[in-house]
Amino acid sequence: MSEQISRVGKRGVTRRKVLKGAAATAGVVAGSGAITGFPTIWAQDIKSVTLTHVGMSYSTIIDIAREATKDLGFTVEMAVTDHEGFLNRVATQPDSVDIADFEIWQRKFAVPRGVLQGIDVKRIKQWDKLTPIYTKGEFQGRPISRIGVSPYEVMYLDGKEATTFHDGPTEWASMVPGVFNADTLGIRPDIINRPVETWAELINPEFSGRAAIQDIPAIGIMDAAMALQAGGVVTYADMGNMTRDEIDQTIGALIDLKRKGHWRALWGTFDQSVNLMAAGEVVIQSMWSPAVTAVRSQGVPCYYVPLKEGYRGWANGLSLTRHLEGIKLDAAYEYINWYLSGWMGAFIAKQGYYIGVPETAKPFMTENEWGYWYEGKPATETITNPYGDPMEQAGQVRDGGSFEDRFSKIAVWNTFMDESVYMNRKWNEFKTA
Amino acid sequence: MGHQYGRRPWTFYVLAAFFTLFVLFLYGPMLVVYTLSFQGPTGGLVFPLRGMSLHWFAALFGQARTGDVWGSFARSLPLALMVLTVTVIFSVMAGLAFRRRFAGATAIFYMAIASLIIPGLVLSIGIGLMFQFTGVPPRWYSSAFGGHLTWTLPFGLLIMFAVFSRFNRAYEEAARDLGAGSWQTLRHVTLPIVAVGLIAVALFGFTLSYDEFPRSWQTVGPYNTLPLEIWGMTTNITSPALYALGTVTTAVSFAAIAIALTAMAMIQRRRSRRALGAGRG
Amino acid sequence: MKLAPTAASYLEVAPLTLVLTVFLVIPLAMVVTVSFFEYDMISGVIPVFTLDNYSYLFGSRLTLDLYAGTLKFAAIVWAITLFVGFTVAYFLVFHVRSLIVAIGLFLLCTVPFWTSNIIRMISWVPLLGKYGLFNQALMGAGITAEPVEWLLFSDFAVVVAYVHLFTLFMIVPIFNSMARIDRSLIEAAVDAGAGRWQIMREIVIPLSKTGIALGSIFVITLVMGDFFVVKVMSGGRTASVVSAMFEDIRLLLYPPAAASAVILLIIVVLMVAAILRIVDVRRELAG
Repeated sequence: MSEQISRVGKRGVTRRKVLKGAAATAGVVAGSGAITGFPTIWAQDIKSVTLTHVGMSYSTIIDIAREATKDLGFTVEMAVTDHEGFLNRVATQPDSVDIADFEIWQRKFAVPRGVLQGIDVKRIKQWDKLTPIYTKGEFQGRPISRIGVSPYEVMYLDGKEATTFHDGPTEWASMVPGVFNADTLGIRPDIINRPVETWAELINPEFSGRAAIQDIPAIGIMDAAMALQAGGVVTYADMGNMTRDEIDQTIGALIDLKRKGHWRALWGTFDQSVNLMAAGEVVIQSMWSPAVTAVRSQGVPCYYVPLKEGYRGWANGLSLTRHLEGIKLDAAYEYINWYLSGWMGAFIAKQGYYIGVPETAKPFMTENEWGYWYEGKPATETITNPYGDPMEQAGQVRDGGSFEDRFSKIAVWNTFMDESVYMNRKWNEFKTA
Repeated sequence: MGHQYGRRPWTFYVLAAFFTLFVLFLYGPMLVVYTLSFQGPTGGLVFPLRGMSLHWFAALFGQARTGDVWGSFARSLPLALMVLTVTVIFSVMAGLAFRRRFAGATAIFYMAIASLIIPGLVLSIGIGLMFQFTGVPPRWYSSAFGGHLTWTLPFGLLIMFAVFSRFNRAYEEAARDLGAGSWQTLRHVTLPIVAVGLIAVALFGFTLSYDEFPRSWQTVGPYNTLPLEIWGMTTNITSPALYALGTVTTAVSFAAIAIALTAMAMIQRRRSRRALGAGRG
Repeated sequence: MKLAPTAASYLEVAPLTLVLTVFLVIPLAMVVTVSFFEYDMISGVIPVFTLDNYSYLFGSRLTLDLYAGTLKFAAIVWAITLFVGFTVAYFLVFHVRSLIVAIGLFLLCTVPFWTSNIIRMISWVPLLGKYGLFNQALMGAGITAEPVEWLLFSDFAVVVAYVHLFTLFMIVPIFNSMARIDRSLIEAAVDAGAGRWQIMREIVIPLSKTGIALGSIFVITLVMGDFFVVKVMSGGRTASVVSAMFEDIRLLLYPPAAASAVILLIIVVLMVAAILRIVDVRRELAG
């Protein structure tokens, strides 16, 4: 470890070696009891470093920053923004972002604009233990779906300052894995009193006036496509990269449904989706996992349905912005190593999200929690959310089962198409119809 | 109508009823907010009410998942006060300027109109880019401050137009005839007459800034203002803590208004007492 | 120190002009420049001159639909806020006797605005939703058997939200204009035997026209520039001019968004100029 530190960075080797001894002792003393070895760089000036972690609200949670600041000795701050705000900020004001926490399909914008720098994989302690979904494009030995933008596709760069992706492992990664999950449809099982098994149910006329879809073009279109393909309305050559004709057909079908009054609403924010479901305005809609739990914690039954065509996967990654250098860059590496070292994984698992190195998260979770969230086992006692509020009763099983079950059934990922501009325009037409 | 304070005409009752309905309309959503903020821990953002407690008020002050409400409030409030002050001063000055004809008046006027019309989203990106180019880091007290001013100054200016329209110069001329200097005339004659308009500008300046979203969007830098923070919160797990925020805000505003009105009443009473005394020499 | 009048004017208008120059004119110049650039999805803006962004917007059916929709909202909201705003202002100016009470009532109307817009938007759902308060009341009173669906996520909901948010912007300028009306004029008219509506038509309305014009400018500008209210209250089912701009900005497509902004700016400035032609707000100042 000390050799790696002494090789990069602008500091001299001698000082580093002297500090190494101090760091070893300090690492044991500092930080919370469970995490040892942090901080590994112990210099006076690192305490004055402030890292700004910018991202969207589902992953950029202030508790993480507090814990990190406690363990690492320097200050980590969170700045929360919305999807669009993030992309615009990182593109036009990259100096105001240090750690960028965003979705993989958004990388297709950020990387070519030269605002990020590559991550030296050798400096990431857990690299070999990272889930192969990101590092190899596989899960349980089998290649994972590449429809849409999969993590593997945007994982590696040609070089440290490259603006293009490399198909295949290199020394420079564009990101380390952040949170990820498999999404599907949410339903009100108490109102729809029968099993729902296919994506086509989203467009089932039985639910006319009580269905909703998400109003984020890059994601909503995938939900729509899954439903339309399952329902036999449209067939796609590559759902993740539609042709203009396929887009026309998709949007045409959506407009058709809209005119028939099928869509009660298009939701744009998380909490709109929660409200729609909890208030009974819709009975079937595209949803995100924590939204389902939020509805349930209000005492309203809501089920996140495993569908036979599979899940829609999405993933985040943490990146370093180009302007980081020197001590700040070292602090950034410290932070992302800490991020993957366990506490964060356990914290976010209770939101229903997975993390890049599940095994480091395991020691931070109770056996009950690990069993429920990752292994799909029934809960042995009440499951609480990260803030202590009860979410699930004992005996409940996580919708969709275990991590293995859910992720081996990823059909598509959130996407960014070549024809995105066209798709955007057509989506607007859908909205004005 | 007129100054006889006799019986009120029937129109008074009709209009008063209309006004009451209007106030109820304004407060309709607020009533929902107040009611739902008192729910128990399983409460959601919609009816039916689930439990009764002060849980969400505690959550709001406890600041765990609810986002950095206090931090962002601690930026929004001073920002709004700064915007209020600057807007009032600059608008009044500009309003006075426009009372005379001068070359370029139309251009400046339409500059203010354009500032009103340009979509805040686009402008905030522009301002953000400008700061990125010049290397100055964007912050709530610099770039966002400027962004908010582009929104409030046109409002202030236009209200000043309403205020100064058909303004009877006779008072100012009389003051000058009596030997008052321009500054004195301004302070003791002009401003008191337009005081109500100034309150309107101040109010607009404050509320427009406090609640501003698009022009803050890309201009705040790394630390959010309250609307941005709340927006961020709604993109994740939301809770009646937001409603609790609404209730607390209302309570504070009512308190502030009560204090302001009492102060005004006291000042007015003192002034009329002094006026009475002045006559007695 | 006595300044020449015009010099005093320049000095007085300087601070406002300076702020607007830095924070409006420069960014606006950037926006206009970018609107003439080409762009590529991946790498962004390409500084090559092109008229494509504009030609696309002018030729697209979508643009027409968006403007038609937004203008429709603007017209409806303007009419309603004018009626409500005028009536409320009239009440406050002419029927409330004490200035302090008038100010108090006025401030009462502003309190909801101190709670964030976003929170109030969320609260419309439990109020107007299928199982919300309003529907419960309607069904409870026996007026309807089924929940009324178009109360929420519809054009109706959008108009209600706009009126809710923007009436105050109509009240304030009209209030200010009305308050300047010389009461003796009205007394004279009453003494001369004029009826209520006559006084309204011939004295009050003409003398409030500055306020009406300004309130109209505020409301129309606010509706034309809105993207958020229409998105939330229509349930994402209706788009507005600016919400479509937002979709472009989402994908960092600055040139078309910039072109759209420029076109919107020109159109609304023309609308404002038309209003000002009817009521020359500035003439009344110099007098």
